[in-house]
Amino acid sequence: MDWNQIIQNTIRACVGVDAIYFAVAALGLNIQFGYTGLVNFGQAAFMACGSYGLGMTAQYFGIGLWWGIPIGILFVIILALIVGVPTLRLRADYLAIVTIATAEIVRLFVRSVKLRNIFGGTEGISNFSREYRELNPFEPGKTYGFAPFQFSGYTLITVLVGWTLVAIFSFLVWQLMRSPWGRVIKGIREDEDAVRSLGKNVYAYKMQSLVIGGIIGMFAGMILALDRGSVQPDNYSRDVTFYILTALVLGGLAKVAGSVVGAMLFWVIFVFSDNVLRELTRNGPLRFGDFTVIQSTQVGAVNYMFVGLGLMLLMTYRPQGLFGNRTEMALDGR
Amino acid sequence: MLIQGRQSISHFWLKVFLTLLCSCVAGIGFVSGSAKAAEDGEFSIIASVQNQTLVSGSTSRAPLEGVAIKVTKVDGTLIGEAITGADGLGKVPVPSRDDYVIEIDISTLPDGLVLIDATKQKVFINQDLFTTNNKRVTFFTGQGAEAGASTIERILQRLSDGIRLGLIIAMCAVGLSLVFGTTGLTNFAHGEMVTFGGMIAFFLNVTLEIPILISGPVVIVLGGLFGLAFNWAIFARLNKRGIGLISQLVVTVGLSIMLRNIYLFKFGGRTKQLSSYSKQVNLELGPIGITPRDLTTAILGIIILVSTALFLQRSRLGKAIRAVSDNVQLASATGIDTRKVIKIVWFAGGALAATGGIFRGLDEQVSFSMGSDLIFLMFAAITLGGLGSAFGALIGGIFIGIFVEMSSLYFPSELKAAPALFILIVVLIVRPQGILGKSQRVG
Repeated sequence: MDWNQIIQNTIRACVGVDAIYFAVAALGLNIQFGYTGLVNFGQAAFMACGSYGLGMTAQYFGIGLWWGIPIGILFVIILALIVGVPTLRLRADYLAIVTIATAEIVRLFVRSVKLRNIFGGTEGISNFSREYRELNPFEPGKTYGFAPFQFSGYTLITVLVGWTLVAIFSFLVWQLMRSPWGRVIKGIREDEDAVRSLGKNVYAYKMQSLVIGGIIGMFAGMILALDRGSVQPDNYSRDVTFYILTALVLGGLAKVAGSVVGAMLFWVIFVFSDNVLRELTRNGPLRFGDFTVIQSTQVGAVNYMFVGLGLMLLMTYRPQGLFGNRTEMALDGR
Repeated sequence: MLIQGRQSISHFWLKVFLTLLCSCVAGIGFVSGSAKAAEDGEFSIIASVQNQTLVSGSTSRAPLEGVAIKVTKVDGTLIGEAITGADGLGKVPVPSRDDYVIEIDISTLPDGLVLIDATKQKVFINQDLFTTNNKRVTFFTGQGAEAGASTIERILQRLSDGIRLGLIIAMCAVGLSLVFGTTGLTNFAHGEMVTFGGMIAFFLNVTLEIPILISGPVVIVLGGLFGLAFNWAIFARLNKRGIGLISQLVVTVGLSIMLRNIYLFKFGGRTKQLSSYSKQVNLELGPIGITPRDLTTAILGIIILVSTALFLQRSRLGKAIRAVSDNVQLASATGIDTRKVIKIVWFAGGALAATGGIFRGLDEQVSFSMGSDLIFLMFAAITLGGLGSAFGALIGGIFIGIFVEMSSLYFPSELKAAPALFILIVVLIVRPQGILGKSQRVG
């Protein structure tokens, strides 16, 4: 087993693109779930809004890449209205049901054969990022940085842009939550009726929170799309939302640093476990006597099994995560 | 910051990094990513044309020779054509793993034979279906009374399919709704209880070769115990620790991810068929074609649901369950042992979900995600019927099943779930408590 290699990969994972888009998506989910108490299980659909907004501008509308942002925001608002209007007046779990369903339907729609000429079917959209590549000051083929933080020029630009966005959104969320608006939002999480009795329009605040969190999630989708150079429907399956949720809970709900550190830590643990299991099974299945413990094709399943187990244990034994404050995590919204 | 020496080493690291990145992406994108590892080489689509005849009650199949088949891309570009040989097989090489459409030319079928499923003249092949380099598509033909179905016949056929789907959804959803009613928990892992039924049925029926009629009851009891285990191992303890319902909801999400991946780990990513009653010819009941197996499961389904309803309506225990589901405090004040009732509800919910899993496995196939694919229809059903109401779940389930199947007359079947979302949203806007729910629950 090549421990040197595994450790380098693991360390690199905490600054890689996966950690970045998880951090951005978690920042958005944190506004909704952590601060407002809205159980949004469809963050993947908000990410898809960004990716498809970006992909469709260049591919079909023939306008510049920057137009992807307003178009993505438009998609986010439409989606937030679809899931928010019927559910935000109701108990929290209705939103959970509707968001998870909508996210799945969005994915089915964009990958459907009938709508192939709009969304590109299962292959998605892949010719949109040239404009972004041309902005890249680094040489795509060259490797930059020092071990273990080495990235190709192709990835490095996304890493830099991504961390800049993480910094901007972290600052934004931090400021937002110190503002009067943020105090109302947190008040809604603690006691909706009390906030209503102060004359605040709770419904409107919840909708704003859903949209703002969705827009931040949208940028996560854009980062993912730009890094992959393609938009693929199956990158936005419902489990992605749950992995982001796990990262968020790991870091700590209702804390800005929680989203970022949680995402980094999630990928560190994930890449470490993935690497170790792949090394163990590289030369055939791992066996104890006649009993086959694990084969190389089962590594993915085992990793995600740990994610699910981790989420359960975190919610049970340490719902405040690493940074959270237990009193802020009394999610009892009904 | 720039490393110019050690090029080869850094390239090595780059490759490792990219490979890892790709493997992570593939894993994230779809959990079964690892199961369909790419095998490069030549790809081909093989059509197998089989003629079914009913000889003294059992089906016999014979390959059909000389039938023309055609493979096109999704946009209609022709890839290749073939004529089936004496083995009934026609092979069309395709350039890559991609989406294709295979079409059988029914005018080349021998006189008097028609496709058993007239909708399967064209079959869409998703690229994900290439589990190996060859994708085999089987067309079944049989003696046809009439060729082509009229609109009314198609509607009736859909109705019959819809009722069968509805029965399965209703069966699975009753437990979900009752658990919600008695404990307030929205259980996102309920779909995994359905899959559990399918998996155990597959293990007993295919691996141990026990006929489904004998293994079925065992599966149902095990499913009930599985539900009981959920409560004993997790949710009763969470309640004791005073963990809020929203946190418990997130726990069910974690549980769902974990169980689904355990199934994937043990079972693999492919769908597999139960061995009992897998090969049957359609009975023609007027305009509707239905296999004896499907007819039996439908009748059994109705019996199970009616007895569930009677149990809840008439028996002492059933009344206690409904009382707890209505109002826990009040029920407990009247001397009902709520904890015992909750245990019974978990057992009954698990048993019904496992039954749904067996039926679904017979109806379609067994896969690691068969339950989680249904969970969303179940939620639509119980929202429509009223969260917490068992009768609501029965009515809602059957309605959703019929609505979803009927809508596929006009809607592409890959978007089958979309009409259910439509119902879900309309119900929440118009009458959020559902048909039989109570309005004080929703706000």
